[in-house]
Amino acid sequence: MVRRFKSAARHKISGVYLLVLFIVFAVCVAGKYTAYAQGWRSDGEALVIDLAQDHVDITTGFTGARLVLFGVREREGDLAIVIRGPLENQIVRRKQPTMGLWMNRESVRFLDVPSYYDYALSAPEEKTGSAVLRDQLGIGLDALEFSYESSYPSDFVLRFEEALIRSKQAAGLFPLEARSVFFLNDRFFRVEFDFPADMPTGDYQIVTHLFKGEKLVDQGRTNLRVAQVGFGAEVFYFAHTNGFFYGLIIVFLAVFSGWAANYVMRRR
Amino acid sequence: MQIYLPIAEMSVSAETILSLGAVVGFLSGVFGVGGGFLTTPFLIFMGLPPAIAVGTQASQLVASSVSGVLGYLKRGHVDIRIGGVMLSGGLLGTLIGIYIFKMLQHFGQIDLVISILYVVLLGAIGLLMLVESFLTIMRRNSSEEPAPGVHQLKIFKALPYKIRFPQSKIYVSALVPAGIGFIGGLLVSIMGIGGGFLLVPAMIYILGMPTLLVAGTSLFQMIFTTAFATIMHAVANQTVDIVLALMLIVGGVVGAQFGVRLSRRVKGLYARVILALIVLVVSLQLAGDLLIKPQDLYSIDG
Repeated sequence: MVRRFKSAARHKISGVYLLVLFIVFAVCVAGKYTAYAQGWRSDGEALVIDLAQDHVDITTGFTGARLVLFGVREREGDLAIVIRGPLENQIVRRKQPTMGLWMNRESVRFLDVPSYYDYALSAPEEKTGSAVLRDQLGIGLDALEFSYESSYPSDFVLRFEEALIRSKQAAGLFPLEARSVFFLNDRFFRVEFDFPADMPTGDYQIVTHLFKGEKLVDQGRTNLRVAQVGFGAEVFYFAHTNGFFYGLIIVFLAVFSGWAANYVMRRR
Repeated sequence: MQIYLPIAEMSVSAETILSLGAVVGFLSGVFGVGGGFLTTPFLIFMGLPPAIAVGTQASQLVASSVSGVLGYLKRGHVDIRIGGVMLSGGLLGTLIGIYIFKMLQHFGQIDLVISILYVVLLGAIGLLMLVESFLTIMRRNSSEEPAPGVHQLKIFKALPYKIRFPQSKIYVSALVPAGIGFIGGLLVSIMGIGGGFLLVPAMIYILGMPTLLVAGTSLFQMIFTTAFATIMHAVANQTVDIVLALMLIVGGVVGAQFGVRLSRRVKGLYARVILALIVLVVSLQLAGDLLIKPQDLYSIDG
């Protein structure tokens, strides 16, 4: 009997134990679910981003490209996404009338100018983070500052910098205004960047910032490779590594075309 | 249709480039000029870097001078000996021209120099052609006298290294044709033009060559200077774009067909007046850019 009771009791205990376990589990899951549905996580990664495609292939028929960036924010806040092309030096020259002709006189050489720059914001620019932080992180055209080699006073150089940005904007390499961030729900967002056909080649950096009020909460980084592929890439490589034979091939083609043109003309 | 140029690393409209080639080919068919004086400014105007425009244009000139010289060779209207001496100066001029081009680019003055050279050379040649054509029209009935030329000047006769050129029946210092070739070479590599409009009068008036042999001989040496310039631009600057070159050449071949057909109907004299006007319009356009205050004083170097 005793043994039987014991076994029955054990049975009963294990049943209660299971029930408790189930309830605890159910509460946890429900709690977790409601927390996920209504609130924001306060631990772990706050920002996850990815590109629909991590490279832009420039082929012979290239007319520009659209880059789609997807992301999930796990915490509430404002987003700022910045994309930068490879840095390069740029010389800006100013024309002055000289002996009746408008010729280039003063020049300023800017260093570390992104060959391409664009950005997207989920909130108005002045409300995204703080001015100091935007400057520091290079969010927005006003935050872009290029170092330069020049002995001219800084307000004089500023006009050259404005001209540089103006010309980059005209070429579609710098934005006129921020792009917007599309939200599919509270967390899931999408940003689209449109590249012009003349986009510079090289490695692009994309940095996504999440701000809570004036504070930076998290950053996500990813890279984009922009390169010629196929025929164009091979031509570029060959021309830059074997200029002599490249030139020779072009001369040969030209001589042949000239001869062929003459041949056709004479037969008529 | 947009097409991406692998060396220029930019996208251009294929139709525009092909039409440009066709127009230039058409003009060269009608007037027998290379047409580089139209291509280079137009390519720069389209936004191509001057270095790519000039470098690529050189290869297009190879095609048009080969196509042009074959007819003269068949008729025996090429003085290969003079062409060879001119070429020695031409190659040197091309080499130095490429160096000058690089220097000017460094100082940011290449656009200015190209423009000034175009305005001065094209303006002068266009004006001369126009005046000459009108004079010819006015004294159409009177018998023409050949111009005396400057080759009888003492300074040219006193130069050393005299060589006899039997085909042209001249006895002249080798320095004169070599010097003319040198100028031609400079023009090829700095301006991206064959320079026929300058070489031809120089060969007639300074060298005293028979007019019959001048065009063929100038084209003959131009093949080599432009081919040399193409290879030098490709080696030193990587500024020859094969896709752009092929489009210009193909357009040129097609345009030349129509040009040649039209040239059989148009009187040579009127053709010269029209060419002179085209040349003058191009040079006035470029002069305007130099003299009128530009909309944006600032410009960017790549």
